[in-house]
Amino acid sequence: MSATTSAWLVLLCPLVGSVVIALGFRRFPGRASGWLGTAVITLSFAFAVVTLVKLLGYGPAHRQFVSTLWKYDFTAGVDAKVQILVDPLSVFMILAVSGVSALIHLYSVAYMTSDRGYTRYFSYLNFFVFSMLLLVLAGNFIILIVGWAFVGFASYVLISFWYRRRTATRAGIKAFVINVVGDVGLVLATFVLFQHTHSVDYLKVFHAAHHVFGHNSPALVVACLLLGVAAFAKSAQIPLHTWLPDAMEGPTPVSALIHAATMVTAGVYLIARMHPLFDQAPTAGDVTAIGGCLTLLIAATIALVMVDIKRVIAYSTMSQIGYMIMGVSVGAYSAGMFHLMTHAFFKALLFMAAGSLISAMAGSQSLDRMGGFRKAMPFTFVCFLVGGLALTGLPPFSGWLSKDDILAFLDHRGGGFIALGIAGYVGAFMTALYTFRMIFRAFFGEPVREARSLEEGHLAHADVPTNPATGEEEDTDVGFPGPEHHIAERDMPMKVAMAALAVLALIGGVLQIPGVDRSIERFLEPTFADSVLSREVPSTSTDWVGLAIGAAIAILGIAIAYRIWFAAPDTAPNLRRRFAPIYTLFVNKWYFDELIDLLIVRPTLMLGRLGDSVLERIVVARGVTGGTESAVRAGSAAVRRSQTGFLRYYAAGMVLFLAAVTLYFLVSST
Amino acid sequence: MTLSILIWLPMAIALVAAALPRPWVGRFVAALSLVPLGIAISYVARFNTGHAGLQFVTDQTWVGALGIHYKLGLDGLNVTLVLLCCVLFSASLVWAAFREWPQPRLFYFFFGVAQSGVLGAFCAQDLALFVAFFDLMLIPFYFLIGMWGTGDRVRATTKLVVYTLVGSFFMLAAAIATGVVATSEHGVPITFVLSSLHHLPLSRSSQEWIFLGFAAAFLVKMPLVPFHGWLVDGYKAMPIPAVAVFSGVLSKVAAYGFLRIVLPLFPYASVHYQMVMLLIALASILWGTSLAFTTPDARLVVAYSSVAQLGFITLGIFSLRSQGGQGAILQMINHGLVTAPLFFIVAALALRAGGSEDLREMGGIAFRAPVLAALFLIVAVATLAIPGSANFIGEFMILLGVFKAKVVIAVVAFLGVVGAAVYALRVYIASMHNRVKPGVRSFDIGLGDLAALAPLVIVIIALALYPQFVLSRSQQTVKSTVAATHTPIKVAAR
Amino acid sequence: MWIGGYLVVSALIFSIGAAGVLVRRNPLVILLCLELMLNGANLALVAFARMWGGASGQIFALIVMVVAACEVTVGLGLIVAIHRRRLPIDVDELRELQG
Repeated sequence: MSATTSAWLVLLCPLVGSVVIALGFRRFPGRASGWLGTAVITLSFAFAVVTLVKLLGYGPAHRQFVSTLWKYDFTAGVDAKVQILVDPLSVFMILAVSGVSALIHLYSVAYMTSDRGYTRYFSYLNFFVFSMLLLVLAGNFIILIVGWAFVGFASYVLISFWYRRRTATRAGIKAFVINVVGDVGLVLATFVLFQHTHSVDYLKVFHAAHHVFGHNSPALVVACLLLGVAAFAKSAQIPLHTWLPDAMEGPTPVSALIHAATMVTAGVYLIARMHPLFDQAPTAGDVTAIGGCLTLLIAATIALVMVDIKRVIAYSTMSQIGYMIMGVSVGAYSAGMFHLMTHAFFKALLFMAAGSLISAMAGSQSLDRMGGFRKAMPFTFVCFLVGGLALTGLPPFSGWLSKDDILAFLDHRGGGFIALGIAGYVGAFMTALYTFRMIFRAFFGEPVREARSLEEGHLAHADVPTNPATGEEEDTDVGFPGPEHHIAERDMPMKVAMAALAVLALIGGVLQIPGVDRSIERFLEPTFADSVLSREVPSTSTDWVGLAIGAAIAILGIAIAYRIWFAAPDTAPNLRRRFAPIYTLFVNKWYFDELIDLLIVRPTLMLGRLGDSVLERIVVARGVTGGTESAVRAGSAAVRRSQTGFLRYYAAGMVLFLAAVTLYFLVSST
Repeated sequence: MTLSILIWLPMAIALVAAALPRPWVGRFVAALSLVPLGIAISYVARFNTGHAGLQFVTDQTWVGALGIHYKLGLDGLNVTLVLLCCVLFSASLVWAAFREWPQPRLFYFFFGVAQSGVLGAFCAQDLALFVAFFDLMLIPFYFLIGMWGTGDRVRATTKLVVYTLVGSFFMLAAAIATGVVATSEHGVPITFVLSSLHHLPLSRSSQEWIFLGFAAAFLVKMPLVPFHGWLVDGYKAMPIPAVAVFSGVLSKVAAYGFLRIVLPLFPYASVHYQMVMLLIALASILWGTSLAFTTPDARLVVAYSSVAQLGFITLGIFSLRSQGGQGAILQMINHGLVTAPLFFIVAALALRAGGSEDLREMGGIAFRAPVLAALFLIVAVATLAIPGSANFIGEFMILLGVFKAKVVIAVVAFLGVVGAAVYALRVYIASMHNRVKPGVRSFDIGLGDLAALAPLVIVIIALALYPQFVLSRSQQTVKSTVAATHTPIKVAAR
Repeated sequence: MWIGGYLVVSALIFSIGAAGVLVRRNPLVILLCLELMLNGANLALVAFARMWGGASGQIFALIVMVVAACEVTVGLGLIVAIHRRRLPIDVDELRELQG
């Protein structure tokens, strides 16, 4: 089996799984569809490993393969085929995606057991994995766009999975529409590139870009900024980020898979994949880097004040992706991709632990109601702690090595980039604060009722299941994860998945330790070999200085969080009172939703209503249509009036007409 | 076997069916409609993709003194549209056959006439013959609305008759003018055969005014803003199978007319009016989109989305680039393939919502109708042209063509792409998702709906996997058609 | 031969017939007047045929007579039908067919 064959099989497995599960939706008993879904993704991961092994069998300079199945849109100059590109970057991504996906599928097998949409869930989830793999394996812009849109679609159906919740359907359409805005950016970027390079094939475009575009040429900057729009929409970066917190309406494993580990990092992958273009248009790279930097700061401030635990993690995800975007935009490609991977591990872990916690709380997601779960859920607590420490960036957890790798690169490039680096450290400090705010509030302190009953061996159940966002009573057909709750302590598949991720979050960093081994960097090198920036590697000592600063900031953050939320619980309300305006700003998410509503949603709806009520009813219905109609009516009335029914009138008409004709000929002949 | 057999077969089948007992008519016509479909498939299979000119030509003198020929032929522009026509008519007839209709013989006879008319209009290679078929295909619909329609059908019929007859009148005048003026300017005997007229380029001033006649007829027929006054009443009143083919196929005849007649015969005028046509198309996109996401009526959402989609098709044609033309052809097929199932689905939804097509009275249908929900979801995302569907490739090529011709228009047209996502999902969510409304009684679709819907959905998926099926057949002809408009640019510059 | 006299007579007969059609209201009389008009035309046809020495004009006249006979048959049939249905035998009253 060649590397490309196994790569095609990586794609095929989840697709087949999705279709089979969908077609057999009435026939699968119990957890069968869940196990089937997990099995195909595991198989897909196995093929990804095969691809990796095959790829490593070639010399570093020859690790790039293109494989085509059939012509897709091959006409009028457009040269799109169903084509994949297998190179270190795409193999890195398929490994990360299929690996994390397999674990999250495993977790879902148990977590979703009592949901009435069990089969539908796994069909969607498999379809998502297929789309994501298609996105990262695509060999040209058209297939990339297809994967790009498919993940958006899969995200939509999974966000509105509990579709009887109005909040879920709203969140779904919001996510989809913002993602379509991103698609449009990607399509427009493709247009600009096609116009100059006459191709949509990656390799041809990259090759031609060196010749047709000058350094920072306006067309290329525009193309890269459009790519940036796509990346920002998909990766929930400001100002296209408002869909991500709402996307937490989906089941928690979905949040772990799509809205933390894989799909939202597609923007990072996109910029890394397009590095030959961004290299030549540093202005565009600077813009996206600043965007990422703003996002990481703003999202962290919001995460400090949210009380919904899933939303805190969602804002944290935005913030972490801000780091990655910042990294790949300034040329820290391998560091950015490394952080993408470790983030996938620890953020998926955090969501899984949060899911377990929410189950124990009988569906409630509010931090205000949680507390003291440390003894009731020791396993979940440990997992959450490991994930949290990795997120905070405490040595030796994986997040420490990856995040600070990006920041060290920024310091190394110097100049204005140092400002970005400092912002990154500020963000890291806030990360430590909000992470340990969650941990102290949920796991420490006085045990709440649910925690105490769990200690006695009873899992709490809500009398009436309600929507955690609105308190509305749930529809019991579709609308909540089912009457039974599943926690990691009691369900083996969840436990296994979380344990595996906890190990990865703990030791995932060893793949890239400055001065010791740089496996990720060396593996990805062939992809980024043509990049000017990738040669700017910070020295080992700079790296270690950066890592030390990062570690110090993390410890400081944890200490302060300990002071505020554990040692002196009065501090938090006091701070809130003292900084009331800032608190209001944060808790209202910097008013982005309101702003977008005011600037885009309302004017559009008003225009539509205006079109319907004024223009359509009055101008078209009365003016154009009515005008034509009355003209025809008037004409026919005139003709009708001449039809009197008097036979002799008609006869007279004929005679007169004949006489006139005769007279005419008489006169004209003489 | 000549194309005449394909064209007249549907009418013949309907005539034979009229001799059968009433309960059998529908099933007989539906089953036999697979024969023209099979013939159409054989034509598509035998079509030589490397050839730009006409294939399978039938050419006989019809009215010798006026130079009118009974000339039929297939090329890249119409070969796939003929197939689309047969597919959609078969699907609609199958859908209809599972239901009771008063006076079934007459009902199916009108369908047969309509299909023969549409096929004739697609195949006609003579201007006069095209006009004749164009009017022939409209006549059955006056009766289908008037006799089997719902709601205010008399008013709807009146509007449709007035609009289309005024349009046809303009086209007739323009067609006669083309034959007369072209031959008299060159001093040759009169002819209406398109291939002969191609060699008789009209003077600029004649092109300019004759263009307007054809444009009026085609824009009304599609319809584009502001010629869509008949649309709301007409679509609301038509019986479902009629509206499915009307929106799916008949609107394409007009768009096809631009490619078949207007671009090759009036190249200078096409360039001259390019901006006007692009702006009309753009207005239709924005107008159709914004109305589609405010109207509460499910059927009207589909109707307005058709206006937007036809706007895209026109945009592609008048980009005067081969990408745009290719996209327009593909999008004609795609739009037909999604709009017909959407109307069937609207009917299915209304059945479950107590007969109302009002979205505000629907909701939560999906749970007890998973098959319907799945089919609807596929059709809905194809409608919004999600990348991965053939509709996306259509829109992509259209917008690429426009992007090359007029960047600003392409960028504004993207608003329509975003809007499509909103209205398609809005219909889906409002009917399938959210809480169950009081009047809704949900159940999964029966064999009748499934027999019409499932094949169409399979075709949508197949075309999504391989849009090249259409593109490779049309590319040569589109290239030469569009190339005709590129030379007069130089002439005009001189 | 001098054709003028024939034509004058022909025109006279035609005009009398036309005037009759216009002023009379009884359908029977109108039918008679129509015959008169046809015969006026016949006279002109025969006269011209005689003048040119061709046979076609005469044949035309014969055909017109046949047509006239048919027409009268239908017309009388209609009048009888009107009479049977007790409708007024007056063309001004028979005006249902109006816009």
